[in-house]
Order: sequence, then C-alpha cells, then structure tokens
Amino acid sequence: MTSSACHIDISHVSKIFGAGEPGEVVALRDVDLKIARGEFIALLGPSGCGKSTLLSLLAGFQTATSGALIQNGREISGPDASRTVVFQDYALFGWLTLQKNVEFGLKAKKVPKRERAEIARDFLARVQLSGFEDKLPHEVSGGMKQRAAIARAMAPDPEILLMDEPLGALDAQTRVLLQEEISRLSSESGKTVIFVTHGIDEAVFLADRVVVMSPRPGRIREIVTSRLPFPRTAEMRADPWFTSTVSNLWETLKPEWQKEDEQ
Amino acid sequence: MTTQAVRPVLDAAGAVPEQKQAPAPRANSTGGRWRSRRTVALNVIGIGTMLLLWQGLTAAGAINSFLLPSPVAVLDSLWEMSKDGSLWVNLAASLKRVCVGYLMACAVGLTLGFICGWSQVVAELVRPIIEALRPIPPLAWVPIAILWFGLGDMSAYFLVFLGCLFPLFFGAYTAVRSIDRNQINAALCLGASRWLLFSSVLVPASLPIMMPNLRLALGIGWMCVVTAELIAAQTGLGYLIQQSRMLFQIQNVVAGMVAIGVVGFLMSAAVERIERRVNAWAPSERN
Ligand SMILES: Nc1ncnc2c1ncn2[C@@H]1O[C@H](COP(=O)(O)OP(=O)(O)O)[C@@H](O)[C@H]1O
Ligand SMILES: [Mg+2]
Repeated sequence: MTSSACHIDISHVSKIFGAGEPGEVVALRDVDLKIARGEFIALLGPSGCGKSTLLSLLAGFQTATSGALIQNGREISGPDASRTVVFQDYALFGWLTLQKNVEFGLKAKKVPKRERAEIARDFLARVQLSGFEDKLPHEVSGGMKQRAAIARAMAPDPEILLMDEPLGALDAQTRVLLQEEISRLSSESGKTVIFVTHGIDEAVFLADRVVVMSPRPGRIREIVTSRLPFPRTAEMRADPWFTSTVSNLWETLKPEWQKEDEQ
Repeated sequence: MTTQAVRPVLDAAGAVPEQKQAPAPRANSTGGRWRSRRTVALNVIGIGTMLLLWQGLTAAGAINSFLLPSPVAVLDSLWEMSKDGSLWVNLAASLKRVCVGYLMACAVGLTLGFICGWSQVVAELVRPIIEALRPIPPLAWVPIAILWFGLGDMSAYFLVFLGCLFPLFFGAYTAVRSIDRNQINAALCLGASRWLLFSSVLVPASLPIMMPNLRLALGIGWMCVVTAELIAAQTGLGYLIQQSRMLFQIQNVVAGMVAIGVVGFLMSAAVERIERRVNAWAPSERN
C-alpha cells in the first residue's frame, strides 16, 4: 500500500486500562493495521476483544497507552468532525427532532440555517426517513433511530465513518435491510468505514476486509479479504464464496466463542 | 413553631441527590388526564368535609374561636385585607424576595453544580464545603443575616438564597453526572464546540433530571422567605402574620397562613406544568 493511499495507519497500538494497578486490563496489544481510503473494514470478534476500544481510539475519545494512530499522516489527538461515530444505542439527542439531530454536525460546522435544513432533509431522504423529519427519537422505531443516527453521522461529510455494532440492538429483519442500505450508502459516498460487529455474516457481507480479533489480550488474529463486488446485494448471501467464508470463519472462531460463553 | 415547619423539608431537600432520582418519576404524563373526575370529586369532598367540620365546631363553641377562627371568619379577613390592599402589598414583597433569592441561587448553584459535575477535581474541592454547610438550616443563619444585612430585603434574599442553593447545586451536579457519555461523544465527534456542547447537549440533557430539584428549591425558597419575614423584615406575608399576632388579630394570622399555602401550591403547580413539558421527550428515550 502506498503512503498516499493509506488513509489510516494504526501501528503497534496497545491500550491498557488501569496500567500498573493490580487489576489492569490489556484491552489491545500491539495492533497493526493499515486502512486504504474508501475501504470498508469490519472488525469482528467476540465481546471483550477490544473492538470498541479500538474504535474509540480511532474516534479520539480515548488515547492509546502506546503506539500511534495516524490519519492522513497526522496523529489522531481528539475527536473531530472528520471522523464521525454511529453508536449501538444510537445516542440521538432525545430532545431534538430527527431533522435537528441530523443538522447538529452542520450547525457545529456553522453551515447557514437554510442550507443545513436542506442538507439534513436530503440525508434523511437517503436513509428513507422522509416524512419523519419532525418526529422525536422516542417516537420512532429502533431501525429508524439508527437510520437517523447514520444520517446524522454522514451529514457533516466526514472522511471516515466509525460504527460500533450499529445493528446490534435491532431485530433480524431490520438488520438485514440496514446492512444492504449501509453497503449502498458507503459505496455511493466512497467514505472509509470501520464497522464493529460480532456477526460473522454481517462482517463478510459488508466488508472489503474482515479483521478478525481475539480477546485477552485484544489483538488481530487474521484478515480476510472479500471477493464480492460492491454494492453488496441480497443475492450475494447465497454466493458460494460468501457461504464458505462464513462457515470457515465460524469453524475457526467457535472454540474461542464457546470459551467466552462458558465464562 | 417555624423551626419545626422548615427543618424537615430542608433535610428532605438535602437527601434528594443521594436518592438518584429517576428522570420521569411520574407516569401520569403518558396516562392522559392527570386527574380523573373521580379523583377531583374525592379531593373536593375531603377538603369540604374538613372545612364544614371546622366551621361547625367553631360555631358550636367546641373550638375557641380566639385560638382558631372559623373558615368564614378567615375568608372574611382575607377579603378585608385584599380590599385595603395590605394582602397584595405584602404578597408582592414576599414574591419579589423569593424570586430574587431563587435566581441568585440558580446562578450560583446551577453553575457550580455543572462545573462539579463536569470536573472531578473541582467536585472534590467543592463538595466537602457544600456538605459542611448543608446541614445548617436557614433559620440558624437568621442572626448572621441580620448582623450582615440588617432587617429587610437583603436578609431575606440571603436566606432564600441559602435555602435554594443546595437542592439546585445537587440537581445540576447529579444531572450532569448522569448524562449518557455517548451523547457527549456523539456531539464531540460531530465537531461541537464547547459552547454548543454546553448549550445544546448538556443543558437539555440534564433538564429533565434537574426539574424536580428546581421545583423543590422553589418550595423551600418560599418557606425561607416567610421564615425570614417573621423575624428579619418589615413587609411580606411572614411579617403580616407576625404583626397580626401581636395585635391579637388571629383571623388575620390564619388568613396570612392560608395565603402562604395557596401561593406555595400555585407556584409548585406552575413549575410542575413546565416540568411535564420538559419531560415530554424523556421517558422512553432513557428507558
Ligand atoms: N474504561 C474501561 N476501564 C476498564 N476496562 C475497560 C474499559 N473499557 C473497556 N475495558 C475492558 O477492555 C476490554 C475490551 O473492551 P471492549 O473494547 O469494550 O470490547 P468489545 O467492544 O470487543 O466487546 C474488556 O475486557 C473490557 O472489560
Ligand atoms: Mg463493544
């Protein structure tokens, strides 16, 4: 990978909670990953393997204990609007309408009022929420909340979208539909996406590269590069490569996930 | 008498933050009409019975009307005081004091509460001071208040301020601390400046949790103003009842007490209305 194509460079990153104290937790150890511009990365692994921690370091919410996270040749030192986050629990602002939620990042960017209303309406339309602009988050379903949260994250036109198990709280049908929408939106926008999940099929369905992590300490265990074209569509779930990759991953991950289950 | 009336309320106020109030304590906002017709009927019957009994007992001479005048006599003197204007003048004086003291306490208490909720370091510096001052009832400050500010408005402002300060501080403090970290992170990654984060996220997110304390503080402020006026002022409803007592106009004393009760109830009802509106978005979003 040439340096100009390398959008994010994670090198030798470790994160230790409570370092030096008796109960220290090594959430990440020596994680190395280069991510190209426009790439869709799925971080896959059982819970507790440090996926959220890695995403939070990328967002700039936390700082690494050692190692560096570089974006466009510059170290990530705190949250900024070039990397927006979609959270599992949506984290929508409950007191704002969906429209105002989506406008939030634009307001922060000081986009004039009329323009930001227009952009927000456009993004809500793209996630199929036209007609729900004036609803409050608690008045719509979980799937709609997550759509709104995706629109909110995309509206300020970030370079990188960080998603932490965004579909984890949704029912199976909604999840499948939203997977396809996310694939469409991300390939349309060409943004770099880092998508945390513990669903094997979800990771294989969405990603250019599936980064498989394992716990205690959290580290990268293998990387699977996809052969499916973009955007991903429903039929690809029946593609032989898709099904065999999912079942192979399942076979290799099973022992670890069973172990986790027993604890 | 007044000590006993005020103190338990203040203690209750102090205990509020520890109870970790739920943001939407009442479910009635979703339950349609907050009071059914039946409830209203029962309420009216209850209070009506009490008044009738009271009137009957005084008329029959079972209650010494010098010690407790009848409801009719009280109404009569309310009417008289309202006609000669003394009721309104004193009511206005009390209201002004509670407003000024309350707003001062909001400015100091909410600001300090927000800062302490945000910064652990400041919280550890400030909380011991607050904890040390909190158990002292406002009534115990009266001598100092008179010494510092003399009789009049300033003393009353000061006492109301003290009474309201702690519930307001703890309201803001607990509210900020209970805000969902992800909402703050969401705002930060969307590029929010400090000001936008404060005004568009911290304040609205904490309002539903703060509202019960805002209401509580107003109630305490109202009690404090009356207490202050009993001793340290020469106008106001508290002064009115104290003055009437010295003139042996007991029906005016009770009339003043009734006015205090009614105004206190109305203030609390008004804030509760606002509270319900503020909470409208909260219940299901924070499940
Ligand atoms: N703030 C924290 N303090 C202490 N330990 C933490 C903290 N955040 C995460 N951890 C620990 O780090 C490990 C990785 O957590 P996390 O990144 O949330 O995993 P995942 O998202 O893959 O489930 C877990 O063992 C978790 O308990
Ligand atoms: Mg996680």
